[in-house]
Amino acid sequence: MTRYLIKRLGQSLLTIFLTVSTVFILVRLAPGDPAQAYAGPFATTEQLEEVRRQFGLDRPILEQYWVFLKGLVRGDLGTSFSFQAPALDVVLDRLPYTITLAVSAILLTTVISVPLGVWMAKRHDTRRELGANVAAIAGQSMPEFWTGTVLLTIFAVLIPVLPASSFTTWGGLILPTITIAIMQIALISRLLRREMVTNFAAPYLTVARSRGVSERRLTWRYAMGNASVPVVTALGTRFAAMLNGVVVVEVVFAWPGVGTLVVRALETRDYPLIVATVLITSMLAILVQLLVDLCYPLLDPRVRLGKASA
Amino acid sequence: MAAGCATPTGLPGPGTLNLALNRSLVSLDNKLNQFDAAVTVQRGVREALTRLTPDLKLHMVLAERFELTKPNSWTVRLREGIRYSDNSPVEIADITTALEMYRGTTGGFLATFFPEWPKVVKIDDRTFRMDTEAPLPILDYLMANILITPAKANKPEELQGGVGTGPYVVSEADRGAGNYLLDANPNYWGVKPAVSRVQVRFLPEESSRVVSLRSGEIDVIDSISPDSVEQLRGLPGVTIETRPGTRLTHLFYNFRKPKTHPLADPKVREALSYAINGPALIGDILQSSVVQATGVVPPDVAGAGKVGAFSYDPDKAKSMLNSLGVRDLNMKIIWESGEFASDTQVLEAVYEMLRAVGVRPTLQQFQPGGDISTWRQGKGGDWDLVANGYPSPTGLAITMMQGMYAGTEEKEKTRDTYHGYVFPAITRQIAAASSEIDEGRRTMLLERVQRDIWQTWPAMWAFAPKAVVAHRNRVGGLQLGANNSYDLTAVRLEV
Repeated sequence: MTRYLIKRLGQSLLTIFLTVSTVFILVRLAPGDPAQAYAGPFATTEQLEEVRRQFGLDRPILEQYWVFLKGLVRGDLGTSFSFQAPALDVVLDRLPYTITLAVSAILLTTVISVPLGVWMAKRHDTRRELGANVAAIAGQSMPEFWTGTVLLTIFAVLIPVLPASSFTTWGGLILPTITIAIMQIALISRLLRREMVTNFAAPYLTVARSRGVSERRLTWRYAMGNASVPVVTALGTRFAAMLNGVVVVEVVFAWPGVGTLVVRALETRDYPLIVATVLITSMLAILVQLLVDLCYPLLDPRVRLGKASA
Repeated sequence: MAAGCATPTGLPGPGTLNLALNRSLVSLDNKLNQFDAAVTVQRGVREALTRLTPDLKLHMVLAERFELTKPNSWTVRLREGIRYSDNSPVEIADITTALEMYRGTTGGFLATFFPEWPKVVKIDDRTFRMDTEAPLPILDYLMANILITPAKANKPEELQGGVGTGPYVVSEADRGAGNYLLDANPNYWGVKPAVSRVQVRFLPEESSRVVSLRSGEIDVIDSISPDSVEQLRGLPGVTIETRPGTRLTHLFYNFRKPKTHPLADPKVREALSYAINGPALIGDILQSSVVQATGVVPPDVAGAGKVGAFSYDPDKAKSMLNSLGVRDLNMKIIWESGEFASDTQVLEAVYEMLRAVGVRPTLQQFQPGGDISTWRQGKGGDWDLVANGYPSPTGLAITMMQGMYAGTEEKEKTRDTYHGYVFPAITRQIAAASSEIDEGRRTMLLERVQRDIWQTWPAMWAFAPKAVVAHRNRVGGLQLGANNSYDLTAVRLEV
């Protein structure tokens, strides 16, 4: 286990390093001029040169990269051009909003999609299951901007019981959470349904049933035990993606999370902010994936981390 | 994380005014940012010696008196007993430092408006002179943009703190999210604001701003497209305020073309302008949210002259182009997304209008933050027409003209002219008008030079977007200014 953790940690650090380095280089090769974005469209050549000098953009890319690496070791990712504050601090200021939204969305997804998936599996190929499946497919097909706008119109304008935007009250969390969860519930419940149906038809369950194991235990202990690995993997992947910022939902609900920050950073060519955002979100995504991997032996005793599967 | 002045449904409390801005206000200072609604908030916290009234007249603020006492010297007297929100007094050193800090701010937008920075000479504790080498008769207007901060707290960058003399003090600031909470300054020297608390929020998406206004969660929104204005107009509880604006948006020619190129001929430029059906663009696409230009600056800035008129006459355009021997002219039109409302629809219509007179246009759209500035400077690629806007934070025609039409060969060497517009005679006339201290004569010089600029046909078509805000009916006293901002102290909330 320790060896596995050390190995994963090494892999994670390498992944993060390569990701951040790639982003560092690519954003500088992309069209656009941070100096122009900072100083405005009517800045003179002299002013632009002064801005570039101030930001260190007048130096060769390799030199900029070296300065960046030295800062990275110290935990200094540079100063955000647009915020004129440490880029890492700007991202960390936004992170609680993103984490709050991601956690609430994944909780809602889990609470609804697991019972729904089981219910659909137990009634598979019935009319009621077909109805639920159609609803799930519809949920999966609805773009988040559309879902969000419809929910806003209903619950913030027509029946104004919830805030329309931002996070001024805890009620502001409800609509963006539901918007994200609708699509995730559809995905996860259908995945769980498929896994459960496969397990319900498996010989081991027939044997267990013939031995008098209760239906409840067959469902929640036996079938769910085997179905949970892909479901947890999917939940982990979705959660990691949410931590990278749910851009569309954040824009629709003016949620001050990392997603809108990335959009802003890209529009203003705020290189330090882009790199800081990528660094933090990739670290979180890798951490989540690691936690998911560590859960596997708990869910399925056949899994032994760091060893070839039996 | 959640601010405490909203009700559980997000509706603002009875004494709180909720504003939504379309851009993130990363600072309450204006050294780098002075976009429309930001001015409203910035001036709620910090003040200048003077300010512009909604109809672009000058109003004394921290200055009790601001007089031109010699051609190149102004005498200013500060109001007595004004203190900052930290209770320190306003001193002449603060003015000196403020000018130094604005001048020293890398990339600061104001530098282009100051032909030279004045030197402050103290006369007594409240009186000082502002001396310049050349006459600067618009200094009182320019100083409306210099917000005053205690000297010891001022820096050549956008200030993160919120110490000022304004009617509000900053109670909470979340720069990352662009949200601020302002409370009435109990020691404000002027008329106390009627609204005790102002919450400023950053809602980048227009649809979010509109929904928030409709739900009553936000009291005032700005930067609204014509479509949204139409959607909001007539809704119960919502009022739309518009007034002529100070920004000019135009389809400006590339003046860096070789002399042999058809577009180097003003007659060709004039002919092309007859192809544009301005009234149709304004009525059908822009939904009357703009007014067609009647000169080379927006019609409502101070000093603007009605020196010309765009007219639609495609037959005249075709016959003029034919007589000038211009056939199948290729024209590349460039613009940045979001440069003005309904930009893509307008330019697609322009494309068709130009095709109708035998021109072969192509459109190239740039994403925000992309390379259009490099292209505009002629360093990215060749183009013929740029759809572009130019602001007037001073509300004066002369500062716009200095920025757009006072190009020189020297500036052009570094591509710092406005799209290569270099006409030495016009530059000299603008310089003469800029330093003319006699107002009557200055007005006459300005009018003359605007006529001369018009004769060069710098733009195929131009318009001035109207300033527009939408607000809930509980908001009273809001007097929208031409620069799309308003005085927070005049706003009241009706229960």
